[in-house]
Amino acid sequence: MPEMTPRERVKRFFKREPIDTMPVFSGMGMVTIQAIDKMGIRFAEVHGSPDYLADSASTSSDIYGFDSVVVPYDMCTIPEAMGRGCTVYADAEGILYPTVPSKWDNYESIEIDPDYAAKARMPVVEDAFKKLIADGKYAVGSWVLGPFTLGGQVFELDVLLKGIKKEKEKVEGFMEKMTDVVIDVAKRYQALGTDYITIREMGSGTDLLSPRMWKQLIQPYLRKIFAELESPKILHICGGTDLIVDLMNDCGADALSFDQKNTLAETRKKIGDEVILLGNFDPYGTFCTMDASEVEGVIKGCIDAGVDAVWPGCDLWPEVKKENVEMWVKTVRKYGIRPTPAVGRV
Amino acid sequence: MVSEERRKEILDNLSEGVVEYEEDRVVEYATAALEEGLDPFDAIMNGLAAGMEIVGDLYDRQEYFVPEILMCADALYKGLDILKPHLKKDSNGAGKPKGQVVIGTVQGDVHDIGKNLIKMMFDVGGFTVHDLGRDVPLEKFAEEQLRTDSEIVALSAMMTTTMMGMKKVIAMIKEKNPDVAIMLGGAPVTKDVAKLFGADGYAESAGNAVQEAIKMIGQLRKLGEEAAQN
Ligand code: B12
Repeated sequence: MPEMTPRERVKRFFKREPIDTMPVFSGMGMVTIQAIDKMGIRFAEVHGSPDYLADSASTSSDIYGFDSVVVPYDMCTIPEAMGRGCTVYADAEGILYPTVPSKWDNYESIEIDPDYAAKARMPVVEDAFKKLIADGKYAVGSWVLGPFTLGGQVFELDVLLKGIKKEKEKVEGFMEKMTDVVIDVAKRYQALGTDYITIREMGSGTDLLSPRMWKQLIQPYLRKIFAELESPKILHICGGTDLIVDLMNDCGADALSFDQKNTLAETRKKIGDEVILLGNFDPYGTFCTMDASEVEGVIKGCIDAGVDAVWPGCDLWPEVKKENVEMWVKTVRKYGIRPTPAVGRV
Repeated sequence: MVSEERRKEILDNLSEGVVEYEEDRVVEYATAALEEGLDPFDAIMNGLAAGMEIVGDLYDRQEYFVPEILMCADALYKGLDILKPHLKKDSNGAGKPKGQVVIGTVQGDVHDIGKNLIKMMFDVGGFTVHDLGRDVPLEKFAEEQLRTDSEIVALSAMMTTTMMGMKKVIAMIKEKNPDVAIMLGGAPVTKDVAKLFGADGYAESAGNAVQEAIKMIGQLRKLGEEAAQN
């Protein structure tokens, strides 16, 4: 059988059909400074142009041999379309991710423009997807923040957190609104033909919320979201997750993704071999600070712990060391020919 | 003067009011403390702050999480708002304002939950706090320090990358005013990083931030005295 194309490999991977080798990919941003430099642009310029977004993603994959491309790179597209603004730090020396400058700070002032999906950079991202899909070379990954994390982007997080106990109905009403937005945007990305979608409920780990609160406040909405979406659909949470693995596994996602704080081997035992497990190296530490010689150990550690594909715990920080990323790809290609718990080999 | 028994009752209620995030109870007993002539410093330290210490333990034991801490902080501030204006400025130094702090999360970083807790500890500790918020342009710290003539600048960064901005802030401030004590904190910051960047202090958590700050001021005062003598 001839070697699979990146796109075939990823599509079969999520269907849990036998593949030739483990794909090297992620559900979160994978843009690298090498691609940005090659294009002769600056990171701050990337976010506003469909061509820059699409080209920086595919150039990164061309350079390193990734199997997927993922856009956008920042978490402000929806907040910006809702009128909360976006700071891109055009003058910053190094790389800074865009942030949201103004948030709602009381429930009464929240007003969601029914036409937000056509505003600000929402069409830019969709055009970038269209270009990447038309190109067809790589699997196209999309993502949307989970309702709680998106909520924290448009509304003062501490007011939201305090409200969980003090103003329960208001918080629930707000979470419902955010859930509708997540479903709406995710469905748009699926309708365009993206190959998989990751729901990143990253601000909801046990660094902030107790497992009990997670069950009450996060799980019902994630269940609703996953029930509405087509497969393949992945749930990602970063930070402390060991105490909520079972709850996460009961949301309707096809695959679960964790960051470096998760004890993966234990997680694999809890979820069994049927569920696709993704994770969990620290992208900044592994690619930006570590010596390249240490990378193989980290990547192999993830495989030994029982992942089906070695995902970074978050977006790649773009200023990666080239040799380190190459080592990720090389190590996955070397050990990834063997089957993993949820995905066989041809 | 209140009896020892009544004092204990007020302090316990302030402390429990913070732990159970009962704002009304805190307001009631902070008001009573003032009316009945309890030393506001006593009420803050052995009532409100003692409660927050328990909250810190509950957090470490994973019984409380961030939402609970934020609600406890609200209750604490309710009490502080009542008591702080009445701190005696001259009584044997104990209630004296300890100094001024400029605090903020550095540019590019919007994580501010930890910073807000540190701010609260400084408020409790009797400092006057100038909070610049989150995503603060680097030069703003030096400007605010000069404007307020604060002894301390406390910087928070939660990302390895934004942490690099701290080094620039330290250089900017020290260039204009080498006597300012600079304190760093946030998840990626370690003692070594703080030293490498030229900071004067570092604290891992809210609990020891204030002690560290007081130590720093003490050192600065000593340096100042030595300089004056020479
Ligand atoms: C909540 C959270 C968010 C929220 C922030 C909301 C808010 N208003 O603060 C949201 C969802 C917006 C968010 C966004 C992002 N986040 Co975030 N987030 C977190 C999380 C889960 C918890 C942080 C927290 O509040 N902890 C609770 C408080 C009480 O603890 P603390 O902040 O550590 O503070 C204590 C001490 O550090 C210390 N301290 C703090 N400041 C100071 C200052 C002084 C002077 C002193 C003495 C002490 C001190 O005292 C505090 C009390 O004890 C952490 C994970 C973690 N475990 O840290 C990730 C984390 C910080 N985020 C991370 C990242 C990467 C991001 C994003 C870039 C994600 C993305 N790809 O887009 C964005 C960036 C946004 C930006 N540009 O700033 C990474 C940083 C990695 C790194 N080392 O660089 C972390 C560590 C998660 C991870 N996967 O590794 N995030």
